[in-house]
Amino acid sequence: MSMKAGGNRGKPGGGNAAGAAASGAGGSGGGRPNLGRGRHSGKGPAAVIFNGVYANMRMVHVLTSVVGTKCELKVKNGAVYEGVFKTYGPECDLVLDAAHRKSPEPSLGPRKEDIVDSIIFKASDVVVVTFKDVDLNFARKVSSDTDNFTDASVSGRINGEHKEKDLEPWDGGDTHNSDSLESLDTDVSNGWDPNDMFKYNEEKYGVLSTYDSSLSTYTVPLERDDSEEFQKREARAAQLAEEIEASATYKARVALENDERSEEEKYTAVVRGERETHMLSRENKYIPPGQRNREAMSWGAGRQNSPRLGQSSAGASASRPGPHDYSPNSGPDQRVVNGGPPRMSPKSQRTPRAHRVPPSRISSVSTGVDLGSHNPPGEVSAAPPTRSSSSGGTWSSVVSGAHRPRSPRQNNMGRASPGSSSLSSPQTGTAPVETVATLTLASSPAAAASPAPNMVASPSGDAKECRVQETRQSSPSANNDNMKPLDNSPSITRPLCKGPPSMAPDHRKQIDNLKQFSVDFRLQPSSNPDPAFDQMMTKPVRDPSDKPKDLALDKASAVGRDGPEQGAAGLAAGSSGAVPASSSSATATSKPGSPAAPSPSPSAPDQKRGGQDVISQGVQTTATMGGPKHEEKEEKKEAVQDQVRKSTLNPNANEFKPRFNAQPKPANTPTPPRPQGQPSPSIVVQQPPAVYGCFPQMYPLTPVSPGVQPIFWPSSEKSIIWKSPAVYQVQMPHMAVSQSKPYRTGKVPNMPQQRSDQHHPPGTPTMMHPATAAGPPIVAQNPVYSAQYFTCSPQQFTSQPLVQQMPHYQSQAQHMFSPVMQSSARMMGPPTHGQPGLVSSSTTQYPEQTHTMYVSQGPMPQQYPHPNATLHPHPQHPQPSATPTGQSHQGGPPQHGGPQSHPAASPVQHPQHQQAAAAAAAAAAQALHLSNAPPQQQLYSALAPTPPSMTPNPQSPQASFPSAQQTVYIHPQQVQHGYNPSHMAHVQQVGRCLNVCERPGIRTSNLSAF
Amino acid sequence: MAAPGPGEYFSVGSHVSCLTCLGQQLQGEVVAFDYQSKMLTLKCASSSGKPNLNDVILINLAYVSDVDIIHDRTETPPPLASLNVSKLANRARTEKEDKLSQAYAISAGVSVEGQQLFQTIHKTIKDCKWQEKNIIVMDDVVISPPYQVDNCRGKEGSALSHVRKIVEKHFRDVESQKSMQRSQAQQTQKDSTLSS
Repeated sequence: MSMKAGGNRGKPGGGNAAGAAASGAGGSGGGRPNLGRGRHSGKGPAAVIFNGVYANMRMVHVLTSVVGTKCELKVKNGAVYEGVFKTYGPECDLVLDAAHRKSPEPSLGPRKEDIVDSIIFKASDVVVVTFKDVDLNFARKVSSDTDNFTDASVSGRINGEHKEKDLEPWDGGDTHNSDSLESLDTDVSNGWDPNDMFKYNEEKYGVLSTYDSSLSTYTVPLERDDSEEFQKREARAAQLAEEIEASATYKARVALENDERSEEEKYTAVVRGERETHMLSRENKYIPPGQRNREAMSWGAGRQNSPRLGQSSAGASASRPGPHDYSPNSGPDQRVVNGGPPRMSPKSQRTPRAHRVPPSRISSVSTGVDLGSHNPPGEVSAAPPTRSSSSGGTWSSVVSGAHRPRSPRQNNMGRASPGSSSLSSPQTGTAPVETVATLTLASSPAAAASPAPNMVASPSGDAKECRVQETRQSSPSANNDNMKPLDNSPSITRPLCKGPPSMAPDHRKQIDNLKQFSVDFRLQPSSNPDPAFDQMMTKPVRDPSDKPKDLALDKASAVGRDGPEQGAAGLAAGSSGAVPASSSSATATSKPGSPAAPSPSPSAPDQKRGGQDVISQGVQTTATMGGPKHEEKEEKKEAVQDQVRKSTLNPNANEFKPRFNAQPKPANTPTPPRPQGQPSPSIVVQQPPAVYGCFPQMYPLTPVSPGVQPIFWPSSEKSIIWKSPAVYQVQMPHMAVSQSKPYRTGKVPNMPQQRSDQHHPPGTPTMMHPATAAGPPIVAQNPVYSAQYFTCSPQQFTSQPLVQQMPHYQSQAQHMFSPVMQSSARMMGPPTHGQPGLVSSSTTQYPEQTHTMYVSQGPMPQQYPHPNATLHPHPQHPQPSATPTGQSHQGGPPQHGGPQSHPAASPVQHPQHQQAAAAAAAAAAQALHLSNAPPQQQLYSALAPTPPSMTPNPQSPQASFPSAQQTVYIHPQQVQHGYNPSHMAHVQQVGRCLNVCERPGIRTSNLSAF
Repeated sequence: MAAPGPGEYFSVGSHVSCLTCLGQQLQGEVVAFDYQSKMLTLKCASSSGKPNLNDVILINLAYVSDVDIIHDRTETPPPLASLNVSKLANRARTEKEDKLSQAYAISAGVSVEGQQLFQTIHKTIKDCKWQEKNIIVMDDVVISPPYQVDNCRGKEGSALSHVRKIVEKHFRDVESQKSMQRSQAQQTQKDSTLSS
């Protein structure tokens, strides 16, 4: 068993790391707030490989839920320690805070001198740990989703000790006439009619209402005229209204208000009888004035009707269908019908515009074609419904729901139409471009030429039905679009995927064709001209022609907004129509031509190259799409990254990328603490050890916090580890991201963010530079790194994680490891001992260090009594039994002997010391004083195996290498913090490092005190 | 994690008993088992008999013998709930502080009665601490040895009277406990050890 004691540390946050980590591992989704930045939906956690116990979700969950409870820990020799369970490591090493050895005879409690700040127990020393009277639900999180007043939560929340509460249905008894209840449920009226109220007041109270329905007091009636100006404005107003109502936020709010399901329906677990079935009440629900008006009012021209119809129907239907949305059972068709139109309507209108704008000339021609085509394509017309039913089912919820999609993806998809709203996401960004392209293609006669264009056109075409044209031709198209969008949505998000998914929806026939198409994608991207497609093509043409009016009206607005809108519309139309593969291909082809194409272009090539691959890797492709855009722009490393990603084959990687960016910030904040620890340059190098899955990540961190590291390493194998896990887990999401990405890419983005966040101005600048300066070199190197790291294991890899994690670690490290820190500090203090940095450099050495760190149980209490005693003479080591503890389970016993002689200094350090005696001196100096930046770097570079760090400027902290950066970064901080005083303090505090190895029978303790 | 095949090792929810190398018989429901580290976590009924609490035992199977599966799990284990990490961290911190505070008092030579009283007050009023041998409650009331009601000093007010009530009740409870102790010596002893 090993114990480690540090000076007093009262860091409140200490527990966080462990807890956070654990929770993350729990995977239940109760991430920390910090984590929230990334994608919650994340497969992230799954992607990360946990080591040891951390991979065991249930073990992690249980151990985490007992964090902070008192426990009794029995070790092999029969000794019992009592303490507060703090955290645990991947090897199931356990950390007890405020632990003391329990004396056999019951006594009131430990004396102050008996208590060790924290003890790390190696799993192999632990026999049994007993946590008494633990409330396993103590930390259970009540998600905001689950209402506090659900039956489950009500019954689950018990104040005091009650037995399980049995819920009984409430029975009003006979005294309450059921009619009163029934009347409430069945009352169809929407509250009092205002006139009734007025009348009542007048009769009862003699109050006369001054209500004027024209609201002349508040507003001025609209004067209508036939002037062009008015019409323009009216059109503009209508358009604005559409836009607003098409926006996701609007829909979400409306859905919120009009969700038909009562609170009880949503949350109750009580099963009610038939009573609930009557939906009549829904009819009575409050209807927003706007929507009411629509139905009653006619603004002006007949054409308005069409949009309104779409909208109104959409709005009303969309809002009301609430139940449908939630209940999967509801027929897909209905959803499509109801929901589809509403959202689509705005889009549909836009789409026509888009077409028109470019293709207006063509429109006439196309229209003619359309008409002809329409009739024959009866299939096509029929198709839409089928689609909706088949594929639409999944997406239908989105459309109909006005409700926001539950899954992020859906949101994107749904919003894609609005375009602007979703622009933020990379996907959306791409989509617009594509759509534009598609639109142009569709409009252009070329459609006939390339099947793909046809495909695009098809969507609009399908939808179009001559009958629909009634008021507006556009309206029909809109409907079609609406229908299609559902299908399309997926396609939009994933260009690559489009082919297969979209295919299905159209016709079963087409499906087969499409399948073939997907398979043969490369060979015959455009070759599969389905009849349906052709028909489709004609239709789109028609749209433009139909909507000339709109064009005129829209022109003004269209020009400005339409950019996005068109994109959206195009998406809707193209995607909707879409035929999956064809559309995608079309977009791809079109893209190259257009300047905007860049982002999409990558995808296009991918498709061409490996259609199959793309399909299979749908996720990846998307990721590439999105990820590359952001990152590539920044770094220009597209090609490299792509390769890396591909090589990784980790679909998850892509998703993570976004997180990537996010990570840096959190990390930054923590970074400040680093200064305390001396920077250990070598850390980076150590990562190679694949052995510790978690460790590698940790290691990177270590470099960041110089002070911490030294200690870290020594104990790191086991004692330190747990903390890292905590950190690790927390970071996990982030980590995942980093993994997927090559080092630099990750770093670069991170860096900027860090800057913003960084507290230390001085640090920031340095950080900044690295990113910019290092950027180029890094790029080149990236492949190398990626290869190394990736090949080994995702976890190991990454220097990136290092960077990101580093901050976390440091922060945590301080809390968690404060003792460690101190000890390290001690180490640092005495020049004789190797510098921290040195230690880090050699991986192999670590184990040894670990041992040194461990203290034998017996001695512990004795030594600890004076935890604070900073000034113990070095040579206390051999207090108890002279024999070095052979037992250090992991570490070779022989090693101990060496290290023991040097208390704090790990054996590893010694060699290094010699080598870098100067360095050590420098390090010491650094610790104490600012000056060291250069020396550290040098050391670092030397230690660091990675060429990059070396190559860049040893002198300049900016070196591209992440670790280098960090190290550099640290320096400024140290300076700022006034490391010196604190450092000194640490040194004094330093506790002694106790290394005790207990063999089963014999204890040997080696104390080293500085 | 090496995912143990179904039925190969311990399945969550099954009941297991075993004997440690230190001669302790353990039994409980499997909550988690980690094959690599040979760690088994059991959940048992609370040793204090409280229904909403459990004892959790973490066992290193390397030092255990006579492992018996009493009965296998009957139903699939429930999903894991998210944990409020900050809550856990806070608990860890407060527990530690409490223990250190207690240790401080002990090393200061406070009598057992004083420590017990401190524990009792602390249950009600978190804001209490040791100052040498005096208990300071809410920075307002000072209770000095021998910690009787009369030893409560401070500004006259609700705080003082409140603390006095607590002290009074504490000693009343202690008295009743003692009387019980005579009748049920063993049980009380157990309680006192637990309470300590």
